[in-house]
Amino acid sequence: MTYLGSIDGRGPKLLEREGATNRPAPRSFEPRHAGIAPASTTRKRRRLGPGPAIPFGLQIGPLVLVLIWVAGSGLSLIDPRVLPSPWAIASTFGELIADGRLQSNFLTSSVRALLGLGFGIAIGLLLAIASGLSRVGEALIDGPIQIKRAVPTLAMIPLLMLWLGIGETMKVTIITLGVIVPIYMHTHNALRAIDERYVELAETLRMSQRDFLLQVVLPGAVPGFLLGLRFAVTLCWVSLVVVEQINATSGLGYMIELARSYGQTQVIIVGLVVYAFLGLASDGIVRLLEKRLLSWRRTLAH
Amino acid sequence: MIMPVASGNIAARAQEPAPLLATVPPGTKLVVGDPQTKVALQLSGLIDEIPFEIEWTNLSGGPQTSEAFRARALDVGSVAEIPSIFANWNDLPVRNIAYREREDPIGHPIYRFGIAPGVEVKTLADFRGKRIAFSPGQAQGALVLRALQAAGLAKTDVTLVELPSTGDAYPIALASHQVDVAPIGGVLIRRYLNQYGADGATVIEHGLRDDPSHLYAPQWVLDDPAKAAALAVYVEFWARATQWVNDNPEAWVEGYYVKDQGLNQEDGEYLVELTGKQIVPANWDEVVARHQKTIDLLATELGYEPYSAEQIFDRRFEPLGATALAAR
Repeated sequence: MTYLGSIDGRGPKLLEREGATNRPAPRSFEPRHAGIAPASTTRKRRRLGPGPAIPFGLQIGPLVLVLIWVAGSGLSLIDPRVLPSPWAIASTFGELIADGRLQSNFLTSSVRALLGLGFGIAIGLLLAIASGLSRVGEALIDGPIQIKRAVPTLAMIPLLMLWLGIGETMKVTIITLGVIVPIYMHTHNALRAIDERYVELAETLRMSQRDFLLQVVLPGAVPGFLLGLRFAVTLCWVSLVVVEQINATSGLGYMIELARSYGQTQVIIVGLVVYAFLGLASDGIVRLLEKRLLSWRRTLAH
Repeated sequence: MIMPVASGNIAARAQEPAPLLATVPPGTKLVVGDPQTKVALQLSGLIDEIPFEIEWTNLSGGPQTSEAFRARALDVGSVAEIPSIFANWNDLPVRNIAYREREDPIGHPIYRFGIAPGVEVKTLADFRGKRIAFSPGQAQGALVLRALQAAGLAKTDVTLVELPSTGDAYPIALASHQVDVAPIGGVLIRRYLNQYGADGATVIEHGLRDDPSHLYAPQWVLDDPAKAAALAVYVEFWARATQWVNDNPEAWVEGYYVKDQGLNQEDGEYLVELTGKQIVPANWDEVVARHQKTIDLLATELGYEPYSAEQIFDRRFEPLGATALAAR
């Protein structure tokens, strides 16, 4: 385990004992001698991690993108046929909200996406635990998941229509199938990546199988699960474009597809902006969750 | 190129079908993929008179409809002339059960040929040497072949670029010079000219009939006496809905194009003007003969086995639409 990331004053003990004195001071050209502290011991040590967090750092990138869009359109550097201006999109937003289309489509899509997400998380988690903690489970489960991962959802649609018809069941199932994969992959990987030392420690402490699962394995898998969840929350939204191409009369994906057949680029971009926002917001929620659940962790992120 | 050819089952089902039942047996349900007619029936109030249960689906276009037929998830769909022809070549036995056309097909074509900005094409003969967007299984594909035939050109005189016409794929392919010529329809014609006309984009008329509109159903649905009886009633309502749209263009613009499809008033009026009036002929001889020509042309150009167009029309339904209109 590396403690490099913890050089932030919160957990320096181990570092000081193990190696701080062996490390060169930043921009220090004095010759180094083992065991002799650098000339200027009071100078601040150079941080190797990314440094302290910038307030609202995660929002800066998207904001820059929007600014480029605004400036590009304002200065007529962007052809409006290629990308309509932000104010044109804003007015289309206004129209779609005024006649209620955006809200009703959003509502239908949300139900589909969240149902798919819910089922996907539950199934993906169960499969990952079954496959991660038992060799029989792995033999039975891991292969099919890898197959699912390799098969494009679009190509599966005809088959799913044969099995499930063209109604809601088919649509939610497609989203669920998509969500299962990242949840499974990351949880399974985290379960299998638990450090042997913890297993040995648990054995030394004569932990029961149950306590070992509850106190070592499952907490150890949480970071992986949460990473999977970050993929899953955006995936459940983007799947809508695929599932709502079939026999849908409402939903964000349907709105985008319909606009495509009439060449209404602005409506398409409104849909994309909603997706972008949903993606960013869902991801933000999972990151918050991460912060809470993983507060025990000392990593580069903190 | 290896293409699937029609198997013997077309000949097998050419035998005389059972006459239609006079009434729809109770408990019969149809799954219908005809979104436009659904809205017309709703707007006109006719929907309340339909004497059996309908489950409406929002499926349109040949590929989607045929896919749903294969999944046994749909009983009847609404398309142009090509999908039923291709379905039979691809082992999906279907038949047309209703037919309508535009009153003035040459003056009100569905498609026009979009010409990429800066490309010199004034007549069909100018297609020689050009790159043309081509979608074999769709109406647009057959139209390209028929235009070449009309201009006396062979497939080898042009470069056919295989590209499915989904959404606004064709206008975009034209604007970005991926192709020189592509058939575009409806409101996309207007948008294409508005957006790229200044750069030199044009459209030309093809002067051919491209207006057939059919209801079609899989053979297994037509073989079910209860479903066939319900289909007969549906054809009558479909004809009445068609007539209602002819008679109420303003309500149609407002109720369908604006409310249901999210277009603006101007686009809706443009589309109504583009369509003109639609009629439901009582006799199918002419359309079957034209269908035969299309089948033969596609068979020659794409390497399929030609078959008799009679086999994909269920003549039991022939008089129903026109009779329903005459009765009013």
